[in-house]
Amino acid sequence: MLNRKSIHSLTGKLIMAIGTLMVAGSTVFWYFLFSHQERELIQTSIKYGHSFVDLVKKSTRYGMLTFQELLIQQTIEAIGSAEGVIRVRIFDRKGKIAHSSDKQDIGTILDIRAPYCQNCHSPAEASRKIPTWTITKDSNGYRVLNIVQPIYNEVSCHTSACHAHSRDQRVLGLVEANLSLSLLDTGIKKQGIAITVYVAIFLCVISVVLCTILWNFVTTPVNMLTKGMERVAGGDLDYHLDIDTRDEIGQLAQAFNAMTSDLKKAKNELVEWGNTLEKKVQEKTEAIQRAQAQLIHSEKLASLGRMAAGVAHEINSPLTGIVTFGHLLLKRFPPGTEEHDDIQVIIEQANRCSTIIRGLLGFARASAADKAHTDINDVINHALNIVKNKADFFNIKLITDFDPVLARVKADPSQLQQVFLNLIMNAADAVEGKGTITIATRTLRDDTADFVEVEVRDTGPGITDENLEKIFEPFFTTKPVGKGTGLGLAVTHGIIQDHGGKIFIKTKLGEGTSFFVRLPAFREG
Amino acid sequence: MVKGKVLVIDDEEIVRISCSRALRPEGFDVQLARNGVEGLGMLGKDRFDVVLTDLKMPDMDGIEVLKQVKEGWPEAEVIVITGYQTVDTAVKSIKLGAFDYVEKPFTPDKILAAVTAAMEHKKK
Ligand SMILES: Nc1ncnc2c1ncn2[C@@H]1O[C@H](COP(=O)(O)OP(=O)(O)OP(=O)(O)O)[C@@H](O)[C@H]1O
Ligand SMILES: [Mg+2]
Repeated sequence: MLNRKSIHSLTGKLIMAIGTLMVAGSTVFWYFLFSHQERELIQTSIKYGHSFVDLVKKSTRYGMLTFQELLIQQTIEAIGSAEGVIRVRIFDRKGKIAHSSDKQDIGTILDIRAPYCQNCHSPAEASRKIPTWTITKDSNGYRVLNIVQPIYNEVSCHTSACHAHSRDQRVLGLVEANLSLSLLDTGIKKQGIAITVYVAIFLCVISVVLCTILWNFVTTPVNMLTKGMERVAGGDLDYHLDIDTRDEIGQLAQAFNAMTSDLKKAKNELVEWGNTLEKKVQEKTEAIQRAQAQLIHSEKLASLGRMAAGVAHEINSPLTGIVTFGHLLLKRFPPGTEEHDDIQVIIEQANRCSTIIRGLLGFARASAADKAHTDINDVINHALNIVKNKADFFNIKLITDFDPVLARVKADPSQLQQVFLNLIMNAADAVEGKGTITIATRTLRDDTADFVEVEVRDTGPGITDENLEKIFEPFFTTKPVGKGTGLGLAVTHGIIQDHGGKIFIKTKLGEGTSFFVRLPAFREG
Repeated sequence: MVKGKVLVIDDEEIVRISCSRALRPEGFDVQLARNGVEGLGMLGKDRFDVVLTDLKMPDMDGIEVLKQVKEGWPEAEVIVITGYQTVDTAVKSIKLGAFDYVEKPFTPDKILAAVTAAMEHKKK
């Protein structure tokens, strides 16, 4: 896998191409250089060969002129024994070997039709320049240089005392030398090996250098780019390529960095957009939920209002009866009598019923109450007087802690009385007939305004968070049917709001509950 | 001597009785009707000075009674009896020609005062 990858990589391909080119190029170059050199060497050898044969001729000349055959033979043998000389032979005109460094050859006649002789003696060759050398191979595979030189008839030859040669003879014989080129061959071979090794080393070095260059300038930055792409594709938009070369790869890296930073910017914008969108959606959802809750609340209030209106109509007629007959009765008893007072109470309470209904309707319709300067301590005392003698309160300790100089409020006393009655009745229900209910009033002051605060505290069981959420909803009650309608706190809340006040609760399970009512204090002027 | 003839139209007996008990001792001739149709029938047989009618009644409501009385017997004064929920309607009824309106629950004095005022208004 790695190999395949490296072959298919850009570097691999480049190295393969350049390597092939270099191998081919250097092979051709060295081949021509080598063969040229070889030719030169051969030419030199031939030259030396000729001068060697010349030397043979010259050194045997005296022997020939004086016809001392033995001397000639000795000289030839001596020369033939020199290193690199394989054989030296002298032929006479008839092709007979007259002298040879190898004595056994002497006397052998070479057939003129032998290929060796045909070199010169073929009739077709007459016009051609007769080659004076050939190259053959010996049994060891080394080359052998054969030099042939004719021995021309000279004046001294046919005038010599021996009269061996007549005057009209042109060529008297041949000198032939076989010279070994084994030294040359081994030298060339060695040189060839050396050159091959050098070329190989050269190629290796070039390859290493090329690899290094390509690695540094192509593979590494390309790998960095690839890694960068992978990182970016994986979502890492902070990735920065540290390639600051001025070449194309450097430009590519710069383009890449620009791209990632653009991407990052775009992504950040998107994310930010997404975040704000989420926030906006959340805000809108909350607003809608609030509006919905408000709607549900007002829907409940509206249905409560409808119900209250119905109830008011039904109850007003019987109340009319009570009031009318009360008045009729009242006329029968003169003022001051006990009956007169009792009937008075009946009428008063019937009127209160009517007022409560009016309050309920007022709450349902948010009708303006008759607001007057009211002392809240009085209102609470009034409310307490009503409940005090009820059996429910016999075992309850009622504590009042009034601020004697409590600020006045602008309020409808009968509505406020309804508020405190509700709170006190709830507290009494909470303590289940035995416990303590504390009612405290105080004046509070903040930067902008004064408030009158009323606290109704009980030692009841407290209110769970779940119930606390729904406590002001109309018809929310935990009391058994017939005992609680769940309207008390809803009406209370409506009245307090109508008076520009606030109602809130502090409660601890197992310890008790405090209801706080805050109304803006009335300021003179 | 009879001070005047009063017709009370109300679907609730206690209101009818309350009216008659408030007015009869003061010398008024009080007739009672349980609904609008019965009341209009009595108006056709007899002549009445003042008609007291409840606004909210089944079948025919007080506004309808008021319209028909003002059409058929314009000389009769109409006093409307209302619950709290019908204050708007009371105002509307005044515009339609009612002499006054009385809110429930009313005292005998209040209803007497309203009827007396209507009688005086009629005499002028
Ligand atoms: N002081 C308190 N301690 C514990 N729970 C309370 C207290 N006041 C109110 N609650 C709870 O709040 C519920 C709602 O009170 P709310 O006064 O609106 O209705 P209610 O008392 O049940 O009925 P109603 O007042 O109409 O007779 C009560 O049923 C009760 O569970
Ligand atoms: Mg309650």
